[in-house]
Amino acid sequence: MNARTQNREAESGRSLTTRAREDVTVMVAGQGGDGSLTVIAFLARALSQRGLYLFRTSNIASRIKGGHAAAVLRGSALRRGCLGDKLDILVAFDDEAIEKAGPSVADDGIVIYDVSRGPLPGGILPSTAQVIEVPFGRLAVRDLRRDLFKNCFGFGVLSRVMGLSDDEALDCLKHRFRRLSEEDLRPNIGALENGLSFADDLGMTVDHGLFRLPRLEKEDRIVITGNEATAFGFLAAGGRFFAGYPITPATDIMDWLGKRFPQFGGVAMQAEDELSAINLAIGASFAGAKAMTASSGPGIALMQEGIGHCGSAEIPLVIVDCQRAGPSTGMPTKPEQSDIGLMTQGAPGDIPRVVLCPGTPEECFEYGVLATNLAQVAQCPIYIALDGLCQSAHMVPAFDLDSIEIDNGKRLDDAEISKLDEYRRYAITEDGISPWAIPGQRQGMNLVTGNERNEWGQVSTDPVNRAAMVDKRARKIDSVRHQLPRAYEWGDEQANVGVICVGMVGDVLIEARERLTGHGIGLRCHRPRTLWPLPDDTVDFVKSCERVYVVEYNKGGQLADLIRSVGAPAEGMHSILKYDGVPMSVAQLVEAILEKEKAR
Amino acid sequence: MTTNYKPNQPIWCAGCGHFGVQGALNHALKALEIPPHETVILAGIGCSGSIQNNLSTYGYHAMHGRVLPTAIGTALANPALTVVASGGDGDGYAIGVGHFVHSLKRNPSLVYIVMNNGTYGLTKGQDSPTKDAPDWAPEEDALDAIMLGLSIGSSTFLARGFASAPEQLNDLTIKALEHAQAGRGFAFLEVLSPCVTYNDTYPLWEAMVHDVDKDADYDSGDRSLAFTTCMRLKNDHRIPTGLIYQGDHPTLEKALLEEGARPIAQIESDISGYRPKLDAILASYRV
Repeated sequence: MNARTQNREAESGRSLTTRAREDVTVMVAGQGGDGSLTVIAFLARALSQRGLYLFRTSNIASRIKGGHAAAVLRGSALRRGCLGDKLDILVAFDDEAIEKAGPSVADDGIVIYDVSRGPLPGGILPSTAQVIEVPFGRLAVRDLRRDLFKNCFGFGVLSRVMGLSDDEALDCLKHRFRRLSEEDLRPNIGALENGLSFADDLGMTVDHGLFRLPRLEKEDRIVITGNEATAFGFLAAGGRFFAGYPITPATDIMDWLGKRFPQFGGVAMQAEDELSAINLAIGASFAGAKAMTASSGPGIALMQEGIGHCGSAEIPLVIVDCQRAGPSTGMPTKPEQSDIGLMTQGAPGDIPRVVLCPGTPEECFEYGVLATNLAQVAQCPIYIALDGLCQSAHMVPAFDLDSIEIDNGKRLDDAEISKLDEYRRYAITEDGISPWAIPGQRQGMNLVTGNERNEWGQVSTDPVNRAAMVDKRARKIDSVRHQLPRAYEWGDEQANVGVICVGMVGDVLIEARERLTGHGIGLRCHRPRTLWPLPDDTVDFVKSCERVYVVEYNKGGQLADLIRSVGAPAEGMHSILKYDGVPMSVAQLVEAILEKEKAR
Repeated sequence: MTTNYKPNQPIWCAGCGHFGVQGALNHALKALEIPPHETVILAGIGCSGSIQNNLSTYGYHAMHGRVLPTAIGTALANPALTVVASGGDGDGYAIGVGHFVHSLKRNPSLVYIVMNNGTYGLTKGQDSPTKDAPDWAPEEDALDAIMLGLSIGSSTFLARGFASAPEQLNDLTIKALEHAQAGRGFAFLEVLSPCVTYNDTYPLWEAMVHDVDKDADYDSGDRSLAFTTCMRLKNDHRIPTGLIYQGDHPTLEKALLEEGARPIAQIESDISGYRPKLDAILASYRV
């Protein structure tokens, strides 16, 4: 026998006890290239087929190859948008995986450890965790002649641990490798079967795994990241131009559109820098295309010049900020919510802008559409603020493509222009929005500039004109205010304690609130979905609570500052801040709120 | 008829070289019968950055140094347009030089006219990158944009004119527009355009210019010859003018756009035709 199961709770007899679970968090970790992501993809298929919701995230070093790589999957009967507090199962391909993830293993967790590269490091795992040692790599090489197959082998063992049948496990492989030829698929199946029978030898059989997962009714669901959903929304709304510069974690958007634009006639470009990226998008938008750019902190900083220009010259543009831990280069692969001030207040001068802030993939998609429409309507920069949501994958009901409506605002066609006595690009109107002719239209010739100008687009410093133009641009935001998403609210309507958060914190708060009910604490929760202009409902919410906790991922309390700046009373607001690059767990948020409540 | 903006009177000092550039551009657009509504003139920041206001076409005033990416975005969004980017030497060779290099590299079919006067006129006479031995760094060499262009293998049109040589400038401007209109790529035309107020180089440049097109054995299709000729003239304290290099290289729009496709600038109000493709994308996310 090549393996042994250890249970440091000496022969407690619990080693083969089956645990029924409706919520399970599994990590697969090793060196980059070990196949951790593939094993998680197999498992995702299996859990999805059982009707469980999924949440997936990965922790990959910022280097090309190798380095510690971990993928984590949560499967749950209820929809969840964050990880469980602890790992129920850890599949560790090396000792570093144990060192890094070991402390996160649940007390009753199961660790499947690949001993091919060395013995299990001691003193890291909880003493009550159950360890199954398997020389994955060695067996894969011995039996199948290739180390590469260890992911299928490992999945075989994992399948048994999770109580999956042979058919279910096989389906996962076949689904994942559906583009492989029979011949290439065969050794993978062989590895899986070896893994399954290896587990059988340990006493885990189809009917007697360590876990028993439910079978739930399946509805039409997809698994998608915030970046993908946002790009999808832009595409669906008629977005056809994208320019960007590679930057973690925003590059996915450029890649996603670059791959799919060709069949829609769209153009995605990689620029020489962010200054170029935003101006390429501005140039395309000025010409009439629906355009977007995306970046993260340092790139968004470079783009401020262009964003100010869009605001002044009245050019539609969607800007996605995939916020990461700053300042400066910060921690590129770690999430944060520290560009709130930059997005709501950045760029020189007074400019009209909107900052949308989704908290789920559905909202990313919806706001991708909305931002594209709003840019056309208000002819100004529209931000979409993302955070860790941009790279985590969530299972959600399939998007409703029937709900998409296109709004091209005040674009003029040739016939409409020819009926006008005069065409003035910056005509002062009641709603602040000027009818728009694009280059190529026969009678629409006009001048576009970021300088202050008169209605014809001719540079002007006349004080009366200047004030009228600033007011006109500001009115545009008033005229779209009614279209801006208000906060998502939930919880105990009778409670006098409120919690405010944005973006990725929302899903953590959903669970934290549920648990706090068990501690006798009722909460009303409020997640703003437009950061600028911040709708009145947030100030009203603060005023209606005795005290409010504002939970955010930055040091300065930027969200709380924003809320105060539009009139919320400061005395009732208390910040809960995290800025170590690691998203808050539900347990941590529960603890933080309990502490604050107890200290009162 | 719809009335459009009334073109501005130039803001330049009497004697400014930019008058010559505007005259040549106006002449070339008319000679080639390019309708004003199909022409977009984009300009940068500086004295030269007002030329777009004066010609009754579509005009765009970019941020300092950013005229080229903007012009490329415009050209890709609507390849039917004649796109002319313009600006000064500070705009193009200092703050915007990164974009200039990458435009030469990408070879989009548009015209770029740089009015080179060796100074920042609008901010009252600071030295620019083309000023030889600037006051603050007398050891620095002036930047030669034509030689920079020659060093980039995908450049396809490099010319230099002189505001005081209107015939040559008319000819070069027409050739530049023709190059872009024929879809051959990035037509770069630098014009020696003296600033009479802060850097009056008329007499100096008149003595220095040398029209390579008049040399019987010069071949503008020969990149190596162009380079050695420019180098030799520079060492002789001369400035080469004329069509210095013209060649062929695949263009940016060839790489990115489908030929004959509807320009993305013309947005569609009915996008239901794309629905099956959107459905297919959605389906790819079912696990």
